[in-house]
Amino acid sequence: MGKYVLKRIGLAVITAFIILSLTFILVKLLPFERPLGDDSKQIAYFDKQYSLGYVYRFDRPMPQYGEHLYRSPAVKGVSNYYYLVPVMEQYVNWLRNIITKWDWGCSKTFQPNVQASVIIMSRIGYSIRLNIISAVVSVPVGILLGIWAALKKNTMTDHIISTVVMIFISIPSFVLISFVLRIFCYNLGWLPSTWPADTASTAAKIKGYIIPVFCLSFGSVCGYCRFVRAELCEVMESDYLLLARTKGLTRRQAIVRHALKNAMVPIFPSILAEVISVLGGSMILESLYGIPGIGKLFILSLSYKDYDILFVDMAIFTTIDLLAGVVLDLSYGFIDPRIRMGAKK
Amino acid sequence: MASNEERSIQFRDDDFRLIQEDIRIMDTKLETKPTTFFKDALRRFCKNKSSVAGFFILAILILLTIIVPIVSPHNIDLVSSSEKFLAPKLFKTGTGFWDGTRAGKHIVYDADNEVPALSDKHSVESIRQALVSLTVEPDPTYIDNASTYGTGGVIVFATDAAVAGRDAFLQSKPAEFTNKGDYRVSIRFSDEENVSASKLGEYAVYLRYGEGPEDRIMIRDFSRDYSDIDFDITGAMNEQNLKNIYAQLVFDLRGTSDSFRYILLKSVEFTGGERAKNLEELEEIGFTDATDMINNGDPNSPGYWSCSGRKGIHNSEIYYCDYVIDTYMLVYGNADPRTYSATELSAWIENGWCEYDYKVGPESFVKLSDACPLDEVTDQTVLSVTKKLSSITGTSWNYRKLGYDKMPQFILGTDVSGFDLFKRSFAGLRTSLILGICTAAFCFCFGLLWGSVSGYFGGNVDLFMERFCDILGGVPWIVVMTLCILHLGNNFFTFFLALCLTGWMGTARRTRAQFYRFKGREYVLASRTLGATDMRLIQRHILPNSMGTIITSSVLMIPTTIFSEATLAYLNLGLQGLQAFGVMMSANQQYLGIYPNLVIFPAIIMSLMMISFNLFGNGLRDAFNPSLKGSE
Repeated sequence: MGKYVLKRIGLAVITAFIILSLTFILVKLLPFERPLGDDSKQIAYFDKQYSLGYVYRFDRPMPQYGEHLYRSPAVKGVSNYYYLVPVMEQYVNWLRNIITKWDWGCSKTFQPNVQASVIIMSRIGYSIRLNIISAVVSVPVGILLGIWAALKKNTMTDHIISTVVMIFISIPSFVLISFVLRIFCYNLGWLPSTWPADTASTAAKIKGYIIPVFCLSFGSVCGYCRFVRAELCEVMESDYLLLARTKGLTRRQAIVRHALKNAMVPIFPSILAEVISVLGGSMILESLYGIPGIGKLFILSLSYKDYDILFVDMAIFTTIDLLAGVVLDLSYGFIDPRIRMGAKK
Repeated sequence: MASNEERSIQFRDDDFRLIQEDIRIMDTKLETKPTTFFKDALRRFCKNKSSVAGFFILAILILLTIIVPIVSPHNIDLVSSSEKFLAPKLFKTGTGFWDGTRAGKHIVYDADNEVPALSDKHSVESIRQALVSLTVEPDPTYIDNASTYGTGGVIVFATDAAVAGRDAFLQSKPAEFTNKGDYRVSIRFSDEENVSASKLGEYAVYLRYGEGPEDRIMIRDFSRDYSDIDFDITGAMNEQNLKNIYAQLVFDLRGTSDSFRYILLKSVEFTGGERAKNLEELEEIGFTDATDMINNGDPNSPGYWSCSGRKGIHNSEIYYCDYVIDTYMLVYGNADPRTYSATELSAWIENGWCEYDYKVGPESFVKLSDACPLDEVTDQTVLSVTKKLSSITGTSWNYRKLGYDKMPQFILGTDVSGFDLFKRSFAGLRTSLILGICTAAFCFCFGLLWGSVSGYFGGNVDLFMERFCDILGGVPWIVVMTLCILHLGNNFFTFFLALCLTGWMGTARRTRAQFYRFKGREYVLASRTLGATDMRLIQRHILPNSMGTIITSSVLMIPTTIFSEATLAYLNLGLQGLQAFGVMMSANQQYLGIYPNLVIFPAIIMSLMMISFNLFGNGLRDAFNPSLKGSE
């Protein structure tokens, strides 16, 4: 078991390394954008890039480099000239910077010269908080609805729940957000139509959570419900449950002691993985509701063409995705004693 | 116990008759109908009512995406901003529901023209023509800012915040007063407190007729007395032996250093007796309506009061109204008269569209053809020198000018560019569908190939191919899409490429699993023993069995693609250069508050599409799933 865990984690780390390397190279191959901000900031940016080994520095124009030579603003009439280091060499330097200094690059245009890790840390809190709250809401509701539908299988209750779930699982998130905003913010005016500022009162902040949490959990509730219903229905038809009833257990006892426990085996890992994978935040929700999380950062860095930030943001999404996969695989083995992960025979 | 009693059994000859003596025994035909896998799947799919319903809705939507963009005559390429934001219209005007009208609640009422105050965009005549119903709120609302549609209120005249401690002046335009005109001035104040953060101030009123400090007739010296003033100007002039003065009324508000001061003025009216010459002029200089006075921003007009401090309005009366307006009449109506030149008219007459004789006048206009843009002539201009017609003024339906033969009708209304939302939605959906079908087709072919090779051969080939999938599959689709779009631009091909890059792995994985499932079965082994090649095994024995699941997953890729396109549009990475559904929806998102139809209708179409795709896909999956066979 221990060997399998190590192997699985090792594989994930290698995959992450390859993906991040490819992404880095592809991002660095994009056309260079000039830094924004006043002269001192631009000079600081170029100096930093030089010290990290991403650009060459010259004190005079080098005509052989043509238009790819970038001139920094003049200090006392003297300006330096910069030329991008070849991408593969940048890649090596980037690896070295991460290993030695944990330096993931810094913002160029969005918040000039602020470390990418600082920007991410200042925003990831909003996304994580929101997603944890919505997970806390949606997991129990989803599971309970699913159990209810499964126990009342092929009755009116089941049909209603299943139909509603099917409809809402099909509706794209931005459509749902539009409808919710229209009804609760514009028509009824009960809730704010944008994310409250950090300076807002606690009551306003709590109100501001309602719509995002609702929109985030709606999809997951439907997903969990459908999954739980399917699993539980399958377990309910199994032979051991029939045996449990025949040996004299009541329906309640049979369900609680046997059916639910067994149904949770596939359910629990996927819920865990789902919760981890939504930590990346919903980009559309964050942009439509103006939540300053890392999903919104993705859109902002795209519109500012701040590719270093974009890269770090994408790296986070990738890592979260891979992590969710690892957790999914490993938790199967931990929860279900029947599954011996990585066993040969 | 057992009795040994003997029994005799007798057999006769006909007990041993051959019952099949005359019948040739051979294979009989099966009594049930033979069926193939796909026929059986179809039969079971048809049993699933909701899936069939989903299929039909889907078929209707797909038919619409093909028909609507071809058949609909509306323009969705050239921006026509005069036609923007028309309301959805399905039924005739007046039915009250979905009839091209739009209701406004709590909108400022233009009391002069008796219409809602929308005249910054449309003329009063066209608003009046388009108005379906109008309810003015019975009670006025009092506001503290100057609205063009407000009346009454009081003027707040205050010392300037920028120069504390200095006096402020409010002065009228000068007018002539004589000692024979019985001129009077009456001034009304309000002494309401707590209008602003500052306090009521000490003021003086006088008539100034010269530059010198003594050249004035004092009406009220500095005081805090806010009672009414009725002052006899002529009487005061006689006292000071003045015959004829050219004077202006001045309010002098004393500034204090601690806080700002204000006074509240209701009205200033000049009157004159029988011998006053300039009564009309005097009437214009004073004011009875404080809001009008504040709104008068033209320093050259006689009613303008110059001010060295601040002047504002308090308790201006404004009425709000609820209305329902026909947006089509507003844009396409014939309320606005338009002027046409004589050359245009003569061209129409030559074409035989109408008749007109300028010597007779507007009554002689006869419309002969529908092609004539003019419906009625109201006025004409004849040049005085040559006695020839120079231009005519007439009314005509505005839609003619915009190139329609009759009043157009937009089922879902129009958007900010004046494009028909209905046509645009389906044109966008068509692009999305084509993208989805192309992607699904490619992923189906490539994934099938990859998955069957990986699944059939297994071993090291499988291991290598699986690792490759793991790495490529580990990249979130949004990252792949973003990188592709940043490198290759937002065109159709990039979207196709990026969606294929992420999409084929699902099919491949599914195919591989199916191959693993079927390749060890006995019938495959039997066929292999008989010497079948790999190709034959795959084609005849494994593939047909796994086809159902693979087809279902490929069909369900189409809605996923549509969804991806829309999601990217919301991230400002939308498809450019083609009508794209997501781009349209995300662009309309900003009008959710004012024109919800622009978002809601496309959202409904999108949801309907997704729901029916899912219903259809679920039915397909169940129908193709051999393990569910006979369980219904």
